[in-house]
Amino acid sequence: MDGGQSDANTSSATSIPTASSSYEDPNRCPICLEAIKQEAYLDRCFHTFCYCCIASWTRYVSRQHSRSVSSIKCPLCKRENSSIIYGLSGNSFQRHYVNEALGSSFLTRAHKVRWQCYDIEPGVMDHKFDPLSFWKSRRYLQENRFLQAWLRREIQTLLQEEDVEIIMYHVLGLIESFFKRQPKGHHLQPPEEKRGEFKKLVSDAARSFLSTRTDRFVDELELFLASGLTLDAYDKVCMEHLHVPASLVPSGGSAEDINVQDLRDPRLCFPHVDMD
Amino acid sequence: MQASRARLFKEYKEVQREKAADPDIQLICDDSNIFKWTALIKGPSETPYEGGVFQLAFAIPEQYPLLPPQVRFLTKIFHPNVHFKTGEICLDILKNAWSPAWTLQSVCRAIIALMAHPEPDSPLNCDSGNLLRSGDLRGYRSMARMYTKLAAMPKKG
Repeated sequence: MDGGQSDANTSSATSIPTASSSYEDPNRCPICLEAIKQEAYLDRCFHTFCYCCIASWTRYVSRQHSRSVSSIKCPLCKRENSSIIYGLSGNSFQRHYVNEALGSSFLTRAHKVRWQCYDIEPGVMDHKFDPLSFWKSRRYLQENRFLQAWLRREIQTLLQEEDVEIIMYHVLGLIESFFKRQPKGHHLQPPEEKRGEFKKLVSDAARSFLSTRTDRFVDELELFLASGLTLDAYDKVCMEHLHVPASLVPSGGSAEDINVQDLRDPRLCFPHVDMD
Repeated sequence: MQASRARLFKEYKEVQREKAADPDIQLICDDSNIFKWTALIKGPSETPYEGGVFQLAFAIPEQYPLLPPQVRFLTKIFHPNVHFKTGEICLDILKNAWSPAWTLQSVCRAIIALMAHPEPDSPLNCDSGNLLRSGDLRGYRSMARMYTKLAAMPKKG
């Protein structure tokens, strides 16, 4: 006698989550309930969230639909919104469209994958591409011919802009001259110091363009260099990481774990020699 | 997942701090598992559930708050939108109308509201739904009252 219901036919509750006293704090993100980090607004209702929180909700909602969606309902007021406004500084801001193709059609799937990488916790790939060994074994002495393409795509992704050539060449030039520069006694310099110098140099140069994303960008750059992978292989590893979140994989790794060694560009590979 | 854990911990602290904020709801987290909660809610007044205390079980998915918690009644209840045997609840916000801005506390409030305002057109308990749909309010109330007394009232004495 029971049953006969369907999901489409559920009883409905009040449309707005009723907030209790403490949930009304405007500086608090309604999704993580913490103080808002990287304030982001929805473009119609102007409700505020952490950028990561509203971005992950948007991604989750779009994944539930087979076609791409062009708007999402605000979690608070249910109004339809078509973009997320964030990175407000002075009179500039950035905008992330729910249907990304709507705002910026040059963005490829690879751009989206990179974009998602910035939403996941930093450091999850560190165990795959040990960044410190890159400095210890001085692999930077070998030119990385994929660096230019990687930089262009990465900066396009972060700025959501197509023409980033000036910034890309600026950063690329800095990196290449840094790697070529061999001051007296350079081989005695501890790798950690060299690493610190590199990170400071790049972040100082990139900060005025990338603002809050700078530090993460520098970390991702280092990881890419340390990976020694071709661009295609690197993308494969990134995708693997997004599809199988680290938390779902037991610490031993999964069977589908890509064997990084198989994908390395032999020309970028240096034997692992400890320099200390 | 780390995000769900952090958020649940936040809710836990909130519940501890504001124990008296809503006297109709008592949320208790499992001692050893933050993804398992129970709640005691009071039947709303001027309904057949008045005076009863109903126990709810929450099972929270790892993707919370992107996904809603799974909630069911542990206490027997005669209500058109609650499965009489399993305690499953038919409520839009626990399914496709979920929003991550809901909390365990506000979900409890929504369930209390559902108890006061049954939706006989989407019944999980057809007997109860049919009584309401046929206009037999008295029949529905007396059945619901009987089960409240049997299952949800603390035994006196």
